[in-house]
Amino acid sequence: MKFSILSDAFGEMEQTRKRTELTGILVRLFEKTPQENIAKIVYMLQGMLRPGFEGVELGIAEKTAKRAIAKSSGAPASEVDRTYKKEGDLGAAAQKVLQSKTQSTLASQEITVERVYETLLKIAGLSGSRSQDLKVRHISSLLNDADATESKFILKLLLRTLRLGIAENTIMDALAAAYAGSKESRPVLEAAYNVSSDLGRVAETVAALGIDGVAAFDLEVNSPIRPMLADRVKSEADALKKMGVSFSAEYKLDGERVQIHIGGGRVKVFSRSNEEITSYYPDIVENIPPLIDAKEAILEGEAVAMTHDMTEFRPFQELMHRRRKYKVSQAVSEYPISVNFFDLLYVDSQSLLDDPYMARRKRLEKIVKHDGDGFSRCIKRVTVTSEDEISEFMEESVAAGCEGLMLKADDSPYQAGARGSHWLKLKREYKENLGDSLDLVVIGGFFGKGKRTGVYGTLLLATYEPDTDTYSSICKVGTGFSDEDLDRLYQILSPKVMLKRDARIQSGMEPDVWFVPELVIEIVTSEITLSPTHLSAMDAVRKGYGMALRFPKFTGRIREEKAAEDASTSEEVITLYRGQVKTAAGDAD
Amino acid sequence: MVFKAETAGSDDLKAIISAVSTLVDEATFVASAEGITFRGMDPSHVALIDISWPNSAFEKYECDGDIRFGVKIDELGRLIKRVGKKDKIEIGISDDNKLLVTISGTKKYKIRMIESSSSETPLPKVTYDAKMVMDLQNFDRILGDIDVVSEYLTVTTKGSKSVFSGKGDSGEVSLDVKGGDEGVREITASAESTATYSLEYLNPITKAIGSAAEDITCEYSESKPLRLEFKVSNIGRIHFYLAPRVDS
Repeated sequence: MKFSILSDAFGEMEQTRKRTELTGILVRLFEKTPQENIAKIVYMLQGMLRPGFEGVELGIAEKTAKRAIAKSSGAPASEVDRTYKKEGDLGAAAQKVLQSKTQSTLASQEITVERVYETLLKIAGLSGSRSQDLKVRHISSLLNDADATESKFILKLLLRTLRLGIAENTIMDALAAAYAGSKESRPVLEAAYNVSSDLGRVAETVAALGIDGVAAFDLEVNSPIRPMLADRVKSEADALKKMGVSFSAEYKLDGERVQIHIGGGRVKVFSRSNEEITSYYPDIVENIPPLIDAKEAILEGEAVAMTHDMTEFRPFQELMHRRRKYKVSQAVSEYPISVNFFDLLYVDSQSLLDDPYMARRKRLEKIVKHDGDGFSRCIKRVTVTSEDEISEFMEESVAAGCEGLMLKADDSPYQAGARGSHWLKLKREYKENLGDSLDLVVIGGFFGKGKRTGVYGTLLLATYEPDTDTYSSICKVGTGFSDEDLDRLYQILSPKVMLKRDARIQSGMEPDVWFVPELVIEIVTSEITLSPTHLSAMDAVRKGYGMALRFPKFTGRIREEKAAEDASTSEEVITLYRGQVKTAAGDAD
Repeated sequence: MVFKAETAGSDDLKAIISAVSTLVDEATFVASAEGITFRGMDPSHVALIDISWPNSAFEKYECDGDIRFGVKIDELGRLIKRVGKKDKIEIGISDDNKLLVTISGTKKYKIRMIESSSSETPLPKVTYDAKMVMDLQNFDRILGDIDVVSEYLTVTTKGSKSVFSGKGDSGEVSLDVKGGDEGVREITASAESTATYSLEYLNPITKAIGSAAEDITCEYSESKPLRLEFKVSNIGRIHFYLAPRVDS
């Protein structure tokens, strides 16, 4: 398959921000794609080469790309730099510079999707002292044979600056339309994606076997399942209203949610966003299998940092010390953890996803052996039937160092990848009027002044709208940041800077720079107000008004374990807003 | 199948390994009754190296069929670097399909092999109008002189005279050479020829061969690939082809 078919589609997609048009372009692209290339193209659309959990990192440094451009074009490095500054994007700069190529080759080869994909895969696999030179050569080999437009997109893929504003939902819409007759079949694809976390495989299957092939997808050990998520509630009364008369309450621990796969003689640990994080938890790999009474299992739990005597929970941040490449074993002994299981999705060849929560919990309790050291256990759970019982358990959990409670309907199946009202979270801070905490996506930044020169002094934040796959602005935040926070945020955010606003961002405010909507941070606010400026929950409460946060403050928690799609939604904000209106009315009584 | 090749010293093998490593990270060698050959192009298809190492170059040579063996060139190179100048090196294939390298009969390495590539690399079909024969040292010095200001070398040959030149952001250089100059054996051109080549490729290969070769023959035609022939005492030939830079 000629690469130009793909690069032409990329070019078309760059011209529009409308989701229906993007879907149309994708459908036409899929129709021109031979089956064996569907998966490759879907991964590339996602900015990856393999499903995320395999950890194959696409990407090269700008320096490497510049060298390859200079090499293939024969232009001096200074000209590449100059053009880059003018265009603001290395892909576009390459397109300009490479229009006059001066290095000829001994043998030229056609640029195909397969060749580009294989080369990118080769580049991703290179490491070691000479790898930079080899990367330059591999890139150059493509650029030597590619035309200027193809070169532009090859570099954008490599630099991960493609940013077409295509969400996974849009890709699934297009796959459904192209291979299953209409968009109506998207939920089937979504379900398959939720249990496999591999959109390429879903795409390949629907292309080859149609919708029936995809409907047969089931979970597999060592392939992560997209986690079931919880809605939030503000009070015990709300919880009762949503849950009914009798349901379960669990401690909500302040740790990292981990999905542990045991089977085939291996242990793998996946994060909430389905990245493989096994290397940060060698203690899980070593200690958990003997504590689980099953040959194969997929379990979910919360890894929580502990004091050295393993008696008390420590805050989430302590876990992040393990997020490093070297000396992990040192971090592991300095920051011990406990693993607190709360769900069992699969055991010995049997999927439990459709079993009710209570049945899964019973199986879980049967297979988790408690060890003397307190390394592993099932999270504490009780059945509650009244506001008082919830309150009592809440007090107990907070006293034990938890954030609050998870409330779960006893008869609910495990809805992979979905946020619904079968699971609710009740945090203490919502209740005690300490202010509400929200996980918001950083969409823009304002350059700092004075003491904050050289970093982003103020950030523009947004909620996530799952229905439209968009991010809507809700507030600016400039307080709560330590100097270290600002430095760290600058390091994380500066590679995410975009020239143009991502198509999925909706903002009533123009920041100095836009970011790829990826990073989630935690914010507390004293009040939620109607806003003529911000676009979160626009028109939901009053026509022409969105929602804004009053006196927002950064809590110090950068939620790197969360994907942007896991951020608070505008619906949650509306719930909080309605809750505070009620409280105000109650006070007046 | 039998394959065993033993060298008298390590210089030639060192030169071959370092020459190959300037272009590729994985190399497939072919051994036959006549000797060992290698042919490979760098990933960007700008340069090609063609080596033929005849059986006569070895102390002992035994091979009763065609054997292809692929290695990561860095992995083999690390080992060969440790070998002394006078050490004999014996190469063979072990029963468990590893590359067996025995040094002076006492030190035995087994190196993993990689899947060998089966594709044939064709040689560029070019005729050459201009030819220069000179000491490798002399050629290396010319490259160094041009490298001061330029990333590529332009050469014009007319009759028995060549002009090497280069140009960069910092300035330009031009250097006259004629047949009969010290260290220059021969310069001939059947037609006036000018072409430009990247030093990024010329410098490493010249350095890699280093003192293993005394002479170099450069052949090229107007805006066509360059062929360098390194004359290494024992080795049949090391040919290095390089695509020219062209005005767009």
